[in-house]
Amino acid sequence: MAEHLLELENISKFYGNIIALGGVSTSVNAGEVTCVLGDNGAGKSTFIKILAGVHQHDEGSFLLEGDEMRFNSPREALDRGIAAVYQDLAMVPLMSVWRNFFLGSEPTKGVWPFEWIDTESAKRIAKDEMAKMGIDIRDTEQPVGTLSGGERQSVAIARAVYFGAKVLILDEPTSALGVKQSGVVLRYIVEAAKRGLGVIFITHNPNHAYPVGDRFLILNRGQSMGNFAKEEIAQDELTQLMAGGAELEQLQHELAEAMGNGD
Amino acid sequence: MSETDTAEPAVASGSAAGAMAAAVGDERLAYRSIFQRLFIRPEIGAVIGVIGVWSFFWAVSLNFGTTGQTQNWLDTAATLGIMAVAVSMLMIGGEFDLSSGANTGAMGILFILLIKEVGDLGGLGLSIWIAVPLSFVVAMAIGFFNGWMVERTALPSFIVTLATFFILRGLKLGLAKLLTGQISVTFTNDAHGYDFFRPIFAGEWQRNEHIWNGRDVFYIAFLLIGAAIVALAVCEMHFVRRAQKVVAGLPIFALGAAGVGVGVYVMHATDGVVNNTIAAAIHGVSILVGLYGFALWRFEPLTEAGGLRLDRRITLLLGAGLACVAAASVASFAIDSANDDTLFFPFTVQGLRVVLMMLFAGAGFTALMVAANRALRDNATTKLVVSTITAGAIVAFGFVIRASSEAVKFRTELFSVLLLVGLALFAWSVLGLRFAERRRIDADADRAGVIGLIVGLALLLTAVILRHLFVTEDELLANVNPAKFSVRMLWFFGFTAVMVWILGRTKFGSWTFAVGGNKEAARQVGVPAARTKTQLFMIVSGAAWLVGMLLAFRLNSLQAGAGDGEEFEYIIAAVVGGTMLTGGYGTALGAAFGAAIMAMSLVGIQAARWNTDWRFVFLGVILLLAVIANRAIRDRAEAARR
Repeated sequence: MAEHLLELENISKFYGNIIALGGVSTSVNAGEVTCVLGDNGAGKSTFIKILAGVHQHDEGSFLLEGDEMRFNSPREALDRGIAAVYQDLAMVPLMSVWRNFFLGSEPTKGVWPFEWIDTESAKRIAKDEMAKMGIDIRDTEQPVGTLSGGERQSVAIARAVYFGAKVLILDEPTSALGVKQSGVVLRYIVEAAKRGLGVIFITHNPNHAYPVGDRFLILNRGQSMGNFAKEEIAQDELTQLMAGGAELEQLQHELAEAMGNGD
Repeated sequence: MSETDTAEPAVASGSAAGAMAAAVGDERLAYRSIFQRLFIRPEIGAVIGVIGVWSFFWAVSLNFGTTGQTQNWLDTAATLGIMAVAVSMLMIGGEFDLSSGANTGAMGILFILLIKEVGDLGGLGLSIWIAVPLSFVVAMAIGFFNGWMVERTALPSFIVTLATFFILRGLKLGLAKLLTGQISVTFTNDAHGYDFFRPIFAGEWQRNEHIWNGRDVFYIAFLLIGAAIVALAVCEMHFVRRAQKVVAGLPIFALGAAGVGVGVYVMHATDGVVNNTIAAAIHGVSILVGLYGFALWRFEPLTEAGGLRLDRRITLLLGAGLACVAAASVASFAIDSANDDTLFFPFTVQGLRVVLMMLFAGAGFTALMVAANRALRDNATTKLVVSTITAGAIVAFGFVIRASSEAVKFRTELFSVLLLVGLALFAWSVLGLRFAERRRIDADADRAGVIGLIVGLALLLTAVILRHLFVTEDELLANVNPAKFSVRMLWFFGFTAVMVWILGRTKFGSWTFAVGGNKEAARQVGVPAARTKTQLFMIVSGAAWLVGMLLAFRLNSLQAGAGDGEEFEYIIAAVVGGTMLTGGYGTALGAAFGAAIMAMSLVGIQAARWNTDWRFVFLGVILLLAVIANRAIRDRAEAARR
């Protein structure tokens, strides 16, 4: 078996006697998108927090490029190339796009203590990097707070890519967006994968996951409901599995009846 | 022109690849003219405030514009401004420092106690060479303590620094009384190192000792050249550059420049009011010719000017504006300008007249400007007509002021300023009729324009500084009041410049905005939030140390209560200057302007011979107006960026 960029086997996490995550396995390849699907409370957040170094797993193995990993802080994960883009995006709304893009890692000129930000190249790089992702920002001086949700996601993704992420974790990037904006963000996800990153895309929307995903991990109540390559599963099955199969069928029947009565 | 900004959200339009190709000179960016760009800067409210407050007190008082009074308010602004700039940075970083006021006095008193001669009731008798760095170290320690406590306890800085305030206040009084037995501490010129440090912290420039008879030649020259460069730079940023330059424009430009020279000569040779009108006419025509030549040489002509269209709104605004200006003129004639009596507390008759005139004229010209702005959206011809009416009203008002005023400053200075403004407006709309306004971004032209603006403004500033720093023999013979500029102004300007640079151009500046705007986000991307905030507290404490030195060397003595309670003035100055109370937004330059506004108000109220008990009412009104104006500017700025 070829070596994966990231490989997880039987990862478990316990909070006291609560099993937050029980025996979950999946893999991420460079240039591919692994989708993690699950309803609310399925254990998605716990899963990404382990990957991003916020929590540590209690059982199982976590291999990054073949090495066993156990991160003590998000900084360590970041140093190894695992970047997480959370829903709140880690952005300062009143600051401009380029300042947000380089926040914490500003390029400088001059010698300490007389060093200053190389604004020209920072603006240029920010604009170019976003253009490479297919994102065209009109004005890098624009405050991030005035961008739309999709545009903000794009800044966060482009930033993670530029600063050398190998694995990009996206936590529900489309959940707060409209149909059009979601489509835009999905395109960035594909774009990021094309550039050779392994992308972990967390969502509760199979319609968003199926078109972009190469591998699907379905979680329900902390348990893995399956780990499939794209050719092993169709979109309908994915939706079924995710919502717990039988329950959804039941719901469809009930809805159909209710609407029938309404006529 | 925000309604033209209907560009689609960037990411939604076009294919990704197509968007990539169009990375240069983005066509979906609605073009903002130079005036619109200036108007959304966060400092603009404070700049307008500085001009407004200065004009107000210049008009209502006898001597506010003189060198003596200028030195007076700059002196107050210096110490207030140093603190306001530092405090505004801390506020941008999302924290307050209520101990900053008491800290200034504490540093001064600590310093004096360190160097005061040894005795039963005395100090430690250290050399100033040791006391200066030692007190600085203590200041850093106080700042560090504030920051460390705020970070460690996660309590609001409001509470933590309130505690520091009381501790410092108690220490000042307690130590002063314990060591010297008095509530005011003093030191003598004999302290070791005094002769070296005194000029650094309290050096003075006696204006009346610096005579320069050629001053006014340079003053006028710098003023004219500076204004010309500013005008050309504004044109450069406003009109479309020509691909093929028209050389015929250059001789016309030279002719205009020569005409201005002739005008200066006429003004110099004939020094009467009547002849000044002739000089003004020569100037006016020459400036028009010169600008026209320059524009002909560089800019694309306007092909379609359009016909005159006055809609109802514009007509109404024009009517209202002219009526207001007429009312101002009536007020100007009806109320005796020489009457300096108190009309009703706290106003003088003269004050009432000026207030009425300023109110009516302000409202009138605002209406006229709005009309001109609306006309601009229609076409160039309409704008020319409306602007010409506005310019005419301004010039006419100038003549009214000249005819109805006794004071020289109104008869000549204000008169010529109004003539110039009317002329500039007229020239501007004539150019607008003949040449095409730029609607696209041209980075080269903008860069050239910004350089021109900076050079021009620097020349104007130099002109004003020269005029204030030197006297002519004639002025001395006329017994001009002495004025002494303190070196503390240089500290103020230097400190402001350094902080503006730090805030705008360095990592630390970026991090300051970040920790004030969204601390968690900043921390997530690796900004050392706690360290940044602690350093901000140390900057404020360092500024307090500097002000403490300036205070101590000024009189060689300090009261134990020095600086107590002034922290709110710093915060007010910062807020007036456009800093947001909730953090994450503001500028250091704005805070400096805010300090200038407050200092001018305090000094101006005295100069206007109003009852100074009322000064806090004035400050309160200014604060309220400033906050409302700044909110409006910020909203506008964000809307314009959308």
